[in-house]
Amino acid sequence: MLTIGKAAAQARVTPDTLRYYEREGLIQPADKTASGYRLYDHEQVRRLKFIRQAQECGFALADIRTLLAVRAQPAACCGDVRQVAIEKKLQIEGKIRTMKAMSRALDSLIADCASETMPVGDCPILAALDKAAARA
Amino acid sequence: MTAVAPTRLELFRAAGCAACDAARGALKAAALEEDADLVWRDVDVLDELDHAVELGVLTLPAIAIDGQLVFTSLPTPAELRAALARYRTARR
Repeated sequence: MLTIGKAAAQARVTPDTLRYYEREGLIQPADKTASGYRLYDHEQVRRLKFIRQAQECGFALADIRTLLAVRAQPAACCGDVRQVAIEKKLQIEGKIRTMKAMSRALDSLIADCASETMPVGDCPILAALDKAAARA
Repeated sequence: MTAVAPTRLELFRAAGCAACDAARGALKAAALEEDADLVWRDVDVLDELDHAVELGVLTLPAIAIDGQLVFTSLPTPAELRAALARYRTARR
């Protein structure tokens, strides 16, 4: 059995992160010492590594909860996991598209403001944002 | 008189989606019963990811009618028929 510090170190997360995962219902300590300290076994360290790896791939905690549930179902198959991964990819691609559009909008605002010394009251970037706010 | 283009229905799915395979037959039959000229397309999102993102598909399976995302999960055949009927009325 490992203490919280050792279990967290093995999975390369902080003890605070591990406690956070516990609050989010992703992991539970295997046991507690008589004085109430959390204890973890190797299966939980494996689970912890799985959670960290999934987060690094962009999965939100809600997705990870789904993945862990699928992983625990003997009847589930790889296609179920693949579907979650494809949906995550769609969401990421959607965000990339939105951010590219934002970047293009900024390009035109930057191009409109050719004079850096213009008084802020005449700033075309602020004027364009004001105009957009008035339209909304 | 100009000919009206047939309604295009796209079922966005991932290969190996057991739920889609199970429901597809009944949905397609209901859709064609509602609109015999309908063009049905099965779209594997990984083959047409840009198209799926363009339409705002975030979850699978999803159904778009004439380029509009209408269902973000599988409808029942009756729900699909109702959506197609509404769509046809709006098009007139």
